[in-house]
Amino acid sequence: MKTFYLALKYLAVTLWSAFVIFPFLWMLSTSFKSQNAVTGGATWIPWAQFEPSLAGWKSLFGGVGGINIVKPYINSVIVTGTASVIALVLGTLAAYGLSRFTFRAGPIRNADITFFFISQRIMPPIVLAIPFFLMLRWLGLLDSLPGLILVYVAALMPIAVWVMVDFFNTIPRALDEMAWLDGCTPVTTFLRVILPNVAPGLVVAGMFCLIFGWNDFFFAFTLTFTQTQLLPVSIVALNSSVTPWWSLSAAAIVSVAPLAVLAFVVERFLARGGLAGAVR
Amino acid sequence: MAEIRLETLAHRYSPHGAYALKPLDMTWRSGGTYALLGPSGCGKSTMLNIISGLIHPSEGRVLFDGRDVAAFDTGRRKIAQVFQVPVIYRSMTVGQNLGFPLVCQGAPAAHRRKRVETIADRLGLGAVLNRPANALTADQKQLVSLGRGLVREDVAAILLDEPLTVIDPQQKFDLRRILKEINVEFGVTMVLVTHDQTEAMTFAEEVIVMNMGEVVQAGTPRELFEHPATRHVGSFIGAPAMNFLAAVAQDGQAMVPGTGLALPLPADVGSGSGPGPGEALTLGFRPEHLQLAGKDAALSGTVTRIWFEGLDEIIALSHPAGEIRLRAPAGTGLSPGDHAGIVPEPGRLRLYVADRLAG
Repeated sequence: MKTFYLALKYLAVTLWSAFVIFPFLWMLSTSFKSQNAVTGGATWIPWAQFEPSLAGWKSLFGGVGGINIVKPYINSVIVTGTASVIALVLGTLAAYGLSRFTFRAGPIRNADITFFFISQRIMPPIVLAIPFFLMLRWLGLLDSLPGLILVYVAALMPIAVWVMVDFFNTIPRALDEMAWLDGCTPVTTFLRVILPNVAPGLVVAGMFCLIFGWNDFFFAFTLTFTQTQLLPVSIVALNSSVTPWWSLSAAAIVSVAPLAVLAFVVERFLARGGLAGAVR
Repeated sequence: MAEIRLETLAHRYSPHGAYALKPLDMTWRSGGTYALLGPSGCGKSTMLNIISGLIHPSEGRVLFDGRDVAAFDTGRRKIAQVFQVPVIYRSMTVGQNLGFPLVCQGAPAAHRRKRVETIADRLGLGAVLNRPANALTADQKQLVSLGRGLVREDVAAILLDEPLTVIDPQQKFDLRRILKEINVEFGVTMVLVTHDQTEAMTFAEEVIVMNMGEVVQAGTPRELFEHPATRHVGSFIGAPAMNFLAAVAQDGQAMVPGTGLALPLPADVGSGSGPGPGEALTLGFRPEHLQLAGKDAALSGTVTRIWFEGLDEIIALSHPAGEIRLRAPAGTGLSPGDHAGIVPEPGRLRLYVADRLAG
C-alpha cells in the first residue's frame, strides 16, 4: 500500500514536471527549426523529424533578418541589476523606519505611508508614462541607462518596501532594545542585529525586484528611442510580417535563462537550510 | 557597578494622562539586590525601562553614582536587561551573543575571547559556545542574556524583568541560585521585577511593593512580613494572606468584638470620641503568629477547612467577625467541625486605619 502511494506520488510529480517543462522543450526545439519545419506540422526530434538549422540563433547576433541582442542584453543586466540593488537598499531602510519608528504628518500615520508605497504598484503604469517621459526629458536622461535606472528604482522600491515591512514586523522590538542595551548605535543595531534576521526577506524582495525589472517592457519601450535598448524591446524588434518563430524562441530562451538560474540557486539556498530558522 | 538614585521620578505616557508611575524617591546601593513586586500593570516595567533609558521619564531624574544620566542614551548607560521572553541574537552563536556588547564597545578580539570564555564557564555555557544560540533551551537563553550583562566589566546594573516566568520549576530554582551567586561574586547591582512574592522575598535584600503606579512599601522581606504598610501588602505578601478583622473604637481602643483582640488607638485617629468617617479600623495578624489553645480561649471558632502543607497545616476557622487562618505544625489532630481556640503571639497585632498601618 505504501509503495503504491509512493508510486502514485511520483507519477503525479512526473506528470506535473512534464507539463511545466513542455513549453520550454518546444521552445528549444523550435529555436533550431527553419521556416519549413515550423509550418509543416508539429515535430519534435531534430534530424529524425526535421533538419536542424542555426538560423534562429544566428539572427540574435546580427544574422540574416535579425538584430544583435548582445548590447540590449547587457543593458538589461545593468539596468535591472543596478535598479534592484538601489531599490532593495532604499526599500529596506524605508521599511525598517516604517516598522520601528512612528511618523506623523497631520492625519497620516505609518500604515498610510506603507500603503502609499503599495499604491504605486496598484496604479496602471500607463498613467506614469507621460510624467516619467517629461521628467526624464527635463533631466536630459531620456534614452539613457541612468534615466531607465531611475525609473526602475521608482517602480521596484514599493515591492521592496512592501515585502520588507512585513519581515521587519515579525522581528520583536525587544531585539532592537536589547541591542541598544548592549551598547549598539541605531545603525549597528540595524546592520548587525536586525538585518541578519531578515535575510529571507531580502532574498524574496530581491527576487521580486529582479523579475519585475527584467520583464518590464512598458517603460523600456516608452522611455527609449534608438540609443539605449533593453532586451524585451529588442526581442519584439525581432518580429516581422512573417513571424520568425525560430528567432523568437531562441530569444525567449536566452531571456528566461538568467531568471531560471537565479530561481534554481535561491531554491538550493533555501532548501539547504541557509535561511531556515533565521526567523522563528 | 553603580549606585542608582531615583529623584522624584514619575512618568505618564501622555502629557495629561494618568500617572503610569507616581512620583517616587529611591536609592539602590551598588551591589545590592532589589525586587520590584506587584501585579501586572503596576508600573514596575515602566520603572525598569526608565532606568535603562528605553523610556524618558516625564518628571524627575535618574542618577548613576550621583551623575544624571538623562543625556545618556541606552547604550551608554551600561545596563543589562533580561526580558521575560528570552531574547537572543538568533543569527549568532552562543559565543558571539555573549561577546556582542564588547563588539559594540570596540574591545580587542583577544580580550573579548577571554571574557566570553570566563563568563561562559561560570554560567555553564562553555560546552555550547559554538552552537547557534537559537538551538538553546529557554533557561539557557536566559543565561546567555545574563552573560551578555556580565561580560562587560563596567556594567552598572542588571535588570531582570520577570526572567523566570517561562522557565520550568526545577530550572527556575537553579537559575535563581545562579543569580544569587553571581550577585555575590561579581558585586553587580541586580533589580528583579516579579509578581511572585516568593521569588522577590528569597532573592532581594530589599523588596519594593508596587500597586497602581505607586510604591506602597519598600523594605527588607522581614519588614514587609512583620509590618505590612497597608492591607494590600499584608494580603499580597505571605501565604496564606494576613488575617484582617474589622474593629470598632471603644474606650480609646480598637477592638474586635467577641475576640478579646484589642490595640490602643493612636492619638491622631478621630477627634477623641472615635475614628472619623473614612477611617475604618482593621486589626491584622499573620497566620504564622497564631497558636492553638484550649476551647475556652478568648478567641475560638469552628474549623471549616484544613490544608496539608507537609510540615505544616493551614487551618481555617469560622468566627462571627470573619474567617481566620492559622499555620500550625502538622499533627494537630483537628478535623472540620471541631471547635478550637487560638491565641495570638504578643506584639504581633497590627492596627490599620483606612487600610494603612497605624502607629
